[in-house]
Amino acid sequence: MKFLSSYQQGFNSFFIEIGEMGNFMGRYFRELFSRPFEFREFLNQCYQMGNKSLLLVSVTGFILGLVFTLQSRPTLMEFGAVSWMPSMISISIVREIGPVMIALICAGRIGSSIGAELGSMKVTEQIDAMEVSGTNPFKFLVVTRVLAATCMLPILVIIGDFVALIGSAIIENSKGDVSFTLYFNQVFEALEFTDLIPATVKTFFFGFAIGLVGCFKGYNSKKGTAGVGKASNSAVVFTSMLIFVLDFIAVFITDIFYN
Amino acid sequence: MKSNSGRNLKLGILIVSGLIVFTLGVYFIGNKQNLFGDSILVSSVFKNVNGLQSGNNVRYSGVNVGTVKNIKFLNDTAICVDMLINRETGSLIKFNSLATINSDGLVGSMVLNILPPDKAPSRTIEEGDTLASLSQIATADMLNTLNKTNENAALLTEDLLKITNSINAGEGVLGDLLKDEGLAKNIQESAENLNRTTNSAKAGLAKLNGILNTIDYENSVAGLLLSDSTAQKSFSTIIEDLQATSLQIKEISAGLGQFSNTLNSEKGALNYVVKDTSFVNHLDQSMQNIEEATFRFNENMEALKHNILFRGYFRKQERQKARMKKENQ
Repeated sequence: MKFLSSYQQGFNSFFIEIGEMGNFMGRYFRELFSRPFEFREFLNQCYQMGNKSLLLVSVTGFILGLVFTLQSRPTLMEFGAVSWMPSMISISIVREIGPVMIALICAGRIGSSIGAELGSMKVTEQIDAMEVSGTNPFKFLVVTRVLAATCMLPILVIIGDFVALIGSAIIENSKGDVSFTLYFNQVFEALEFTDLIPATVKTFFFGFAIGLVGCFKGYNSKKGTAGVGKASNSAVVFTSMLIFVLDFIAVFITDIFYN
Repeated sequence: MKSNSGRNLKLGILIVSGLIVFTLGVYFIGNKQNLFGDSILVSSVFKNVNGLQSGNNVRYSGVNVGTVKNIKFLNDTAICVDMLINRETGSLIKFNSLATINSDGLVGSMVLNILPPDKAPSRTIEEGDTLASLSQIATADMLNTLNKTNENAALLTEDLLKITNSINAGEGVLGDLLKDEGLAKNIQESAENLNRTTNSAKAGLAKLNGILNTIDYENSVAGLLLSDSTAQKSFSTIIEDLQATSLQIKEISAGLGQFSNTLNSEKGALNYVVKDTSFVNHLDQSMQNIEEATFRFNENMEALKHNILFRGYFRKQERQKARMKKENQ
């Protein structure tokens, strides 16, 4: 009985958390369209999330392109289909691997950062102090961060995809004597709007999920400094899972509309 | 304030870079699909489009000149394929070109190929034109044919296996050929004989060749016979004459045969002369008598020359002979 009751408690707390997150999201949208706008803080968060993540995203994207091409090349060579490499790599990176990999990296960097920052502000009662001083902490801390994450992730993904394709082109150029012009001609020959547009649209949702979960976990962290670590950790875990769920939904919807 | 400006500048650069990359990506993809350039809409009607989709490439002489815009059914047997063709390239495509749907490689996506026409002159395509189509064998049809070929090959293999088993079991002529040692020995001997015969024939031919090589075709009779066309006519005339002569000889020999029969069977003078031996003896005696008489007559004549009555006559004749001889000299 005790075993069952602990599971029931777990289910209840999960659904309660989902409900709280729903409320949190509702409040976010309410605060988003109400004045005043914290534009300067929004730009600051964009800088923190975008510019500070750019190096990480670029390096990861470049290595992703290199490794993906190196790993795929022998298999395609067995079938005599090396000429399909640019098409295959570009479609894979633009459609799926690029957005998901970069979103996961940003979940690790941005999500944990937001969770830890807001969590520490919560446990040190800085948020309460902001409320007392007449500043809307939700608008200042949550809306700016979620909006910045939503806006910056697509840009990071686009740049990450581009760098990954450059990495792939370098390998193709060095291993297969394919010129950069030919490589990118074949890439754009293979890509269609049905690859680029849904992949870009879903990155807004990924960014939104990263910001929202990070803020929710940090904003609602409890139990002192241990709660900060827990908020940071659970923000990353939950965001990563949510990215896969959102990706599945995005692919499902794209499949319905385009195929 | 200065720090904020620097941050905003960096952020602005990042956002603009991202937007530029995205815009370029959209532009290049759209450009490949002829969405931004000036293009001509032409169509073609097919019975079967073999899986052609909107967005597939349109090629003219192997160069991408446009994309398939739309595919729609006109009726149950006709499918209209609309294509956007780059206006610049479209000015080179003739109206009597043929549109055909092919696969880009064995497992590639479908491609609409526009085949240049033969030398027949025609105007270039214009907006709304419908190109004539040409149905070609699709990959599926090829695979169906291949499938049938495979089935036939399987049947053939099965039959071949049966035949091989029968041969191995020593059944039939081929089985005997492979299993019967006596037959094998005979064949071997025959082969050896054949080899010898061939060698002999070879040697004979070599000799004949040598003989033929020694013939002087220009100066010999053989050369004349073999190469001169006038000689051929002469020879044919000779052969005809020989035939006529042989017929005459045949007739003569038949007459001679009849004559000799008559001679053998009937009692004529010749038969008597030929067959009677006593007559031969008489004749021999008579000949001896004539010879003796002739000798005596010669003696008498010699005596007559020395006779006083006839001596003058004979001397006169000798003088005449000597005179004629002198005159001739």
